[in-house]
Amino acid sequence: MKIAIVDCGAGNLHSLAKGLALAGDVEVAIETDPVAAICADALVLPGVGAFGSAMERLAPAREQIRDALLGGLPCLGVCLGMQLLFDASEEGAGDGLGVIAGRVERLRARRVPQMGWNLVAPEPAESLAARPFHAYFANGYVCRPRDEGVVTAWSRHEDDRFAAIVRTARTVGVQFHPEKTGRDGLSLLAAWLRAAAGAPAMSPAREAAR
Amino acid sequence: MSLTRRIIACLDVAAGRVVKGVRFEGLRDAGDPVALAERYEAEGADEIVFLDISATVEGRRTMLDVVRRTAERLFIPLTLGGGIASVDHAAQALRSGADKIAMNSAIVARPELIGECAERFGVQCVVASIDARREGDAWRVRTRGGRTETSLDAVAWARRCADLGAGEILITSIDRDGGRVGYDLELTAAVAAAVTVPVVASGGGADAAHIAAALEAGADAALLAGVLHDGVTTVAALKRELAAMGVAVRPTIAEAL
Repeated sequence: MKIAIVDCGAGNLHSLAKGLALAGDVEVAIETDPVAAICADALVLPGVGAFGSAMERLAPAREQIRDALLGGLPCLGVCLGMQLLFDASEEGAGDGLGVIAGRVERLRARRVPQMGWNLVAPEPAESLAARPFHAYFANGYVCRPRDEGVVTAWSRHEDDRFAAIVRTARTVGVQFHPEKTGRDGLSLLAAWLRAAAGAPAMSPAREAAR
Repeated sequence: MSLTRRIIACLDVAAGRVVKGVRFEGLRDAGDPVALAERYEAEGADEIVFLDISATVEGRRTMLDVVRRTAERLFIPLTLGGGIASVDHAAQALRSGADKIAMNSAIVARPELIGECAERFGVQCVVASIDARREGDAWRVRTRGGRTETSLDAVAWARRCADLGAGEILITSIDRDGGRVGYDLELTAAVAAAVTVPVVASGGGADAAHIAAALEAGADAALLAGVLHDGVTTVAALKRELAAMGVAVRPTIAEAL
């Protein structure tokens, strides 16, 4: 299985690539061209950067990525990558991918950004993690989905309860960094890869993108 | 339920080797930063900081290689500090596998660098590292490893760094550094009250009581170096003691949840 990590021009992609390679029998490529990235078997939107500059980078391919995700291309959005799945963000200008309805808002807490290890409590429906675990977060903003039914794990920073994992169809977003969450993070990546490998081989949207 | 408090292990590295003496049993190469970082991760450290103290271009290149090799095996956050003086340097560090960059002298010389890095990489990547020395009732910022005096008040400078886009403040007491008598709690409290971003206490911490006091003073994390390298204590032992004192720390073993 070929996994493409979209290079949004900033930050550490190395750890995520390494984490994925360790978690499963996959070929991981870092792809600067987002259109080329959606031709992989599964897509990863990585976690570092700022919303405005990342979306600026993705903007030319926005419709194609959106169509590919809605068409069933398995996707994992990590931290900022999760936030890019939503409609818009308080952090910066530009439209998000709009794959999940809702907005990205600043954490309602005194200490922002949230930096460190926080407890993730999965709902029973979440298949990527069976039990609560501590995950590494580094974020000042969180996703507020219009429909809370997409949230499959919650966390709390001070008094603000926020979505730690969201999913719709084959798109998964995690607000924490699984590649920085030790063993629990690697096992989550492995579970995601197994689920992605079970996805339909090709959807019409991806066929069109090729 | 909220964020746990962090224990951060800091390693001084020059030309690819850990500089301060490290006395670990069972390490094939006690001077290898990669092996040490892995060792601290296994013991339950919440983050690793590499401080590059090489002064040469060659040394910096070696450092990026160390970061790259560490990132291949480390699955907790890694911060690189020392010698980062431009957005390009920062980009190289992050691209090599660092999760955050800590800047000190360079941001005193050119404060706009904070905002430039925050805009490109996000505030959560940008750590303002401040070395402070007590002068009467206040603290003065020093740069270049403490050698150069500045006119900046440390608390005011911390606030300015946060305003400019730093996502974390690493405040080191020069007076306490290496002394093992505890963090400068007044300095920690003053900085923690002045900013809303997380604050890491550094300089002088040697045991669980020191760490607990720094957290009580408002720090979100405590940085340790020598006491870990010398084997005086371990992260696991410190976390056990802190947990017994009622401090929320990440369990070192997943099953402990």
